[in-house]
Amino acid sequence: MAGRWQWFHRLGSPKWFYEKTTRWLPWLIGAMALLLAVGIVWALLFLPPDYQQGHTSRILVVHVAVAGASLSFFPLMAVAGTVTLVWRIKLADMVAKNAAPLGAWFTFLTLATGSIWGSVSWGTWWEWTDSRLVSMLFQFFLLLGVISLRTAIESAETAARACALLSIVGCINVVIIKYSVAWWNTLHQPPSPISMEVGSPNGPEFWVATAIMIVGVYLFLAVSLILATRNEILERENKAQWVRELALRSR
Amino acid sequence: MLTGIQFDSLSEFFAMGGYAFNVWSVYALFAIFLVANLALPLRRRKLILRGQKRRLTVRGADAERAGKHGDKAGWEVSLAAEGAGEEQ
Repeated sequence: MAGRWQWFHRLGSPKWFYEKTTRWLPWLIGAMALLLAVGIVWALLFLPPDYQQGHTSRILVVHVAVAGASLSFFPLMAVAGTVTLVWRIKLADMVAKNAAPLGAWFTFLTLATGSIWGSVSWGTWWEWTDSRLVSMLFQFFLLLGVISLRTAIESAETAARACALLSIVGCINVVIIKYSVAWWNTLHQPPSPISMEVGSPNGPEFWVATAIMIVGVYLFLAVSLILATRNEILERENKAQWVRELALRSR
Repeated sequence: MLTGIQFDSLSEFFAMGGYAFNVWSVYALFAIFLVANLALPLRRRKLILRGQKRRLTVRGADAERAGKHGDKAGWEVSLAAEGAGEEQ
């Protein structure tokens, strides 16, 4: 048990995670702020208006980045859930627990920004027959389901296992969202191929800005999830000596 | 790739070619989303630590009032007492 697996269990130690992230956070926050700032300024000021969409293409830079990141929540929660089920590592469940509400925020923003963009480009805010839209809405409800499952079950351990199972099953929907535009799309377009030519539908002036925004949004996801998980650690480990010392030293 | 700022005036920038509502509401939502998901956990952290500190110092102060611990400060007493039964 010791030796080969030691790193794995150390990784699962809340104290180890807390101390590591204390050192990582300033770098993560710095990189996040820089990339988001560049992405937003580029999208709002420098992106040339699209020949069809006009200035509403500025919406897509945000929408694409947030939508892409929102698909990572169920796989993330499924991996954390598997670790919880198999190895019973507390930290994995703390991450999964805090990922669910953040994922709901991401999914809601994806739906809202897509709808606001669609109201111009499609002439409608919502379309029940479009599989991409409906499967994304389903992800939102699935995440609300995971959140309420957690609070509905009294035993923390049973709740953790039930949420882990639902997260693993929920991954099926991610596959459906991903391929929905290819299988049975009605409104939502499939991703445009990346082009190196300036002025083409997905030319570098658009996709480089979007790529910067995507990395920025993923860093934001990491920072926010780390902050929430650290709070969870402080609460669940409040009997540990190191947490007490931290609290007493705080202002 | 970058051909400069796409607007000639500030009013043109705000107007967004007639789609001011769409563009600005998306960026407003995005801003709320970013700020909320950073500020809320930071605020909660402050509340957690404050609550924990209060509990520890109140317990220490009780012990101090009982006069059992000489000239030790309240929080030192509580930390020593709490730490005594710990596994660490």
